[in-house]
Amino acid sequence: MAVTEQPGRALKLPLLVGPPSVKACCHTGGGIGAGPEAPVVALVGAPNTGKSTLFNALTGSRVTMGNWPGTTVEVSRGIWKTTRDAASCTCEECTCDPSELRLDITLIDLPGAYSIDPHSPDEALTRELLVGVPEDERPDLCVVACDASRLANSLYLVAQLRELGLPMMVALTMLDVAAKSGVTVDLDALAVALGCPVVGIDPRRRTGLEALAAGVREHTGIAATPRPVPDTTDALELDDDRFTWIAQAVTAATSAPAVQPRTFSDKVDRWVTAPVLGPVIFLAVMWLVFQITTAVAAPLQGFLDDLFTGPVSAGATWLLGQLGLGGTWVEGLLVSGIIAGVGMLLTFVPLMTLMFILLAVLEDSGYLARAAVVTDRLMRSIGLPGRAFLPLIVGFGCNVPAISATRILPSARQRILTALLVPFTSCTARLTVFVMLGSVFFGPYAGTAVFAMYVISIHLVVLAGFVLRRTLWRTMGAEPLIIDLPAYQVPTLRLTASVTWVRLQGFLKTASGIIVATVCAVWLLQSIPTTPGHAFGEVPVAESAYGVAAQSITPVFAPAGFAKWETTSALVVGFVAKEAVISSWAQTYAVDEPADGTPGTLGERVRADFESSSGGHPIPAALAFMVFLLAYTPCVATLAAQWREIGARWTLFGIGMQLVTAWLLAVAVFQIGRLFL
Amino acid sequence: MSGPLSTVLAEMQAGTPTVAEIVRRSGLDDSVVRAAVDHLVRSGRVESRELSMGCPASGCGGCASATEEGAPGCGLPSPVPGRRAGLVTLTLTRR
Repeated sequence: MAVTEQPGRALKLPLLVGPPSVKACCHTGGGIGAGPEAPVVALVGAPNTGKSTLFNALTGSRVTMGNWPGTTVEVSRGIWKTTRDAASCTCEECTCDPSELRLDITLIDLPGAYSIDPHSPDEALTRELLVGVPEDERPDLCVVACDASRLANSLYLVAQLRELGLPMMVALTMLDVAAKSGVTVDLDALAVALGCPVVGIDPRRRTGLEALAAGVREHTGIAATPRPVPDTTDALELDDDRFTWIAQAVTAATSAPAVQPRTFSDKVDRWVTAPVLGPVIFLAVMWLVFQITTAVAAPLQGFLDDLFTGPVSAGATWLLGQLGLGGTWVEGLLVSGIIAGVGMLLTFVPLMTLMFILLAVLEDSGYLARAAVVTDRLMRSIGLPGRAFLPLIVGFGCNVPAISATRILPSARQRILTALLVPFTSCTARLTVFVMLGSVFFGPYAGTAVFAMYVISIHLVVLAGFVLRRTLWRTMGAEPLIIDLPAYQVPTLRLTASVTWVRLQGFLKTASGIIVATVCAVWLLQSIPTTPGHAFGEVPVAESAYGVAAQSITPVFAPAGFAKWETTSALVVGFVAKEAVISSWAQTYAVDEPADGTPGTLGERVRADFESSSGGHPIPAALAFMVFLLAYTPCVATLAAQWREIGARWTLFGIGMQLVTAWLLAVAVFQIGRLFL
Repeated sequence: MSGPLSTVLAEMQAGTPTVAEIVRRSGLDDSVVRAAVDHLVRSGRVESRELSMGCPASGCGGCASATEEGAPGCGLPSPVPGRRAGLVTLTLTRR
């Protein structure tokens, strides 16, 4: 009899429960068709244990599918046609017809459930059917499908069912999978440990099904002695008792190789997640990333720089001249503004591409997950919430999503604290400025200089977190956290390319949107004269609104060694976006040609200004500038995100904290550095 | 109380950072530890969360695991089919 489900119509599946009907003689019970007196066997087990495959193997097409009455849980019911062995008949002189040796069983395939605790509708139904109904309406036997390769996971349900004393037996699947990993299961020992029959089966190859049928016939309706449980209502204590029982059963019945084969991931993880060596390896890997990035991308960057400052600018100037716009404000905006500013930023595309590729490879290989372990340990050592490491790591890409990612933290206090720390993580926007200054001031050691900024960034996060935790956040608790590490894998080209492209798109989007707007605003301010005698767009930058405003704040930075308005003005523009620091320098120096008429490269001009503002100590001054850039407000987008997530008061507090920290650090770096450099 | 479940909980509280490390330190069978962690997650004592590392510079909107509403996808299963399993964090919940 085959009943198929009709679309849109939930079939009612009343449980056909009768008295236990497997008698000693084949003359009673069973028969053709699973009538009301047919024994009912419930097939239960955790998801993915092969339960449904077993159900299909036992019932074939004799299946009814539908929702269990009153629930949305789909349950299958089928007829399992079994045949008795004539030798097992207990008639004194058996004259049974072979057809009478058949026993049809009503088989119910209950939904996958790890336990009978009602954590889900599936588990609730399993519980209701096995425990919630009167005793005489319960199935005559429960067959629990257990995965031999993940035996402990399957046994929690067995432990609970054993406590109820239900008639039950275990069908052990996936024995071949367990064997492949070197684990063998002693079925007899497992049966003894569990206190119920155990049969090894392979429903896909239809092996062991006869033994299962024999076991079912033998044990149907025979209640087992309930497993004793501790006299307590404490759920954890009860669970602990079950797991003690599970561990004993696993130990008694399974044998694994004396020495567990260490996987490649295990071997590597032993070193890369070690408490001391792990951070050292992490730092070494990141140093290598920056070194490769700066060394390989430098020639390409130089080529693009030459392209924008040479042929592109010259071509645009020629074209504008042909159009009669030569020497006008249009030429100033396009050539000295857009092409100089955005062009300079675009020279970083090869560098950013390479950086994104390397990070994507590290991410896809699984190494960054190990870095998270190392970082998490650091976080916890200063009492920060374990989960705070996620937004902080995200912050090294971009601070804006990192601020949003603080939502994963459970308490408002944790979110505020983490959102205040995120701006200290060095985002990729700052990376462009670091690379530029690193190339100008540190030559072949540019990668190391950039790497140092990241190390300082980590220390800033830790230090700021440490101070805040011991002042404003004294009462906040920390949450332990553990990580399940994925195995190492060979990075895929598709994923690496996809991640790189998405990130590069973001960089280009910023360059083409926010930076173009900022370049226009800077150009406008640089075109507005503040002294008489100059027309709009024909004023020296120092006497423009931009230059005058920058000069007013410049003295503040004298102790840090970079008190030149050309330098500090970029910091003001950097409030909009850190990439704008470079574009504004490119604009300022493109417009403000030196008196001797030799323009020089942007790097040379920047270096000359640091040289003069620092009293002959350009390297400590450049370092101080980089540290200030690292620690002060990242960008307006981050401020907006902070405003949204933690409110105006804490955002303003954060701005103040960042500016004070940045200034103090910059002054300290310069004042100490100039003693040696 | 010193069964496997409380041992695993104690290791988590003590800051043992990985499941493999808990197996090594506790001396328990690997499958028992993993079953205990799974059970702790199911029973709500531990929160399991898949992490997406290294957000795109374009922000949440460009993230493969962002939700349709634009909320950050940090920790959510990615909507991109076939994406590889990534880092999973398990966080102990105080009860």
